[in-house]
Amino acid sequence: MTYSFKIPLDRVGAIIGKNGETLKLLQERGKTEIEVDSETGEISLLDDSSPDPYLSFRMRDVLKAVGRGFSPGNAMKLLDDEMYYEEFDIRDYSGKSRKRVMQVRSRMIGSDGRTRRLIEELTDCIISIKGHTVALIGDIEGIKVASKAIIMILNGSEHSSVYSYMERKRKDLKVARWGF
Amino acid sequence: MSEKWGVCHIYASYNNILITLTDLTGAETVAKATGGMVVKAAKDESSPFAAMRAGELIADRAKEKGITNIHIKVRAPGGNGPSSPGPGAQGVIRSLSRAGLRIGRIEDVTPVPHDGTKPKGGKRGRRV
Repeated sequence: MTYSFKIPLDRVGAIIGKNGETLKLLQERGKTEIEVDSETGEISLLDDSSPDPYLSFRMRDVLKAVGRGFSPGNAMKLLDDEMYYEEFDIRDYSGKSRKRVMQVRSRMIGSDGRTRRLIEELTDCIISIKGHTVALIGDIEGIKVASKAIIMILNGSEHSSVYSYMERKRKDLKVARWGF
Repeated sequence: MSEKWGVCHIYASYNNILITLTDLTGAETVAKATGGMVVKAAKDESSPFAAMRAGELIADRAKEKGITNIHIKVRAPGGNGPSSPGPGAQGVIRSLSRAGLRIGRIEDVTPVPHDGTKPKGGKRGRRV
């Protein structure tokens, strides 16, 4: 059985890497054969060949994350058991108009990337904003807070209220992660 | 017979997680477990922790019945709802493989609409 999906053409290069080095590394770490069609951007995971089906199941998220703008290095954090991947479509919140998608995306990033940076720092997640999607990698506690914050912004909350929400949740995060 | 196969159906939504272990035909249920069976708080029903506990329940029952190998079918709500499985799915698969069950194929069986019904919320969207 193969599992295949498409990624944007401009991310195919990121998956393959220089002389196919990244692709080789991905196949080694994920113990799964990966086929990339560089004309159409179609990725196929040949997971029959895999000795560890759970790992190749995780590879699906890794490759999707690379397709959504993460560097392969960051995406490979998803091979860790405790890391989770989440994807939001801005169009679900803003409507189809290109102009509106762009406005909402700008709010998501903030001036000089302030909003994105703050969400990343306060929740210890990594965020990638590309085209009409926002993608998120993080541990379960962080990702819960971060996705709530992202949804708040996409729904039009003021930035300040999102920041104060995250500040409030920071204490809970500490407790959940380290137990004090 | 050294190996006996089963199919583990995992339905992972954002609110709960349902696991059903069946035989290969899918007609006979061997075991069922949900997130709500293992945690008390409703908000934890879909958490990876609940998923792992539920997965352990399933693994125990599977061993009792002599099932050694399983295929996995993962499912998200699909249709108009979210089409990627919640965080629970990862937890279930992990606990099943930790418990010593051999995993065959992992398949995504989320129902995909060929442009189906109108999303909830009405024409003017959700008004808060």
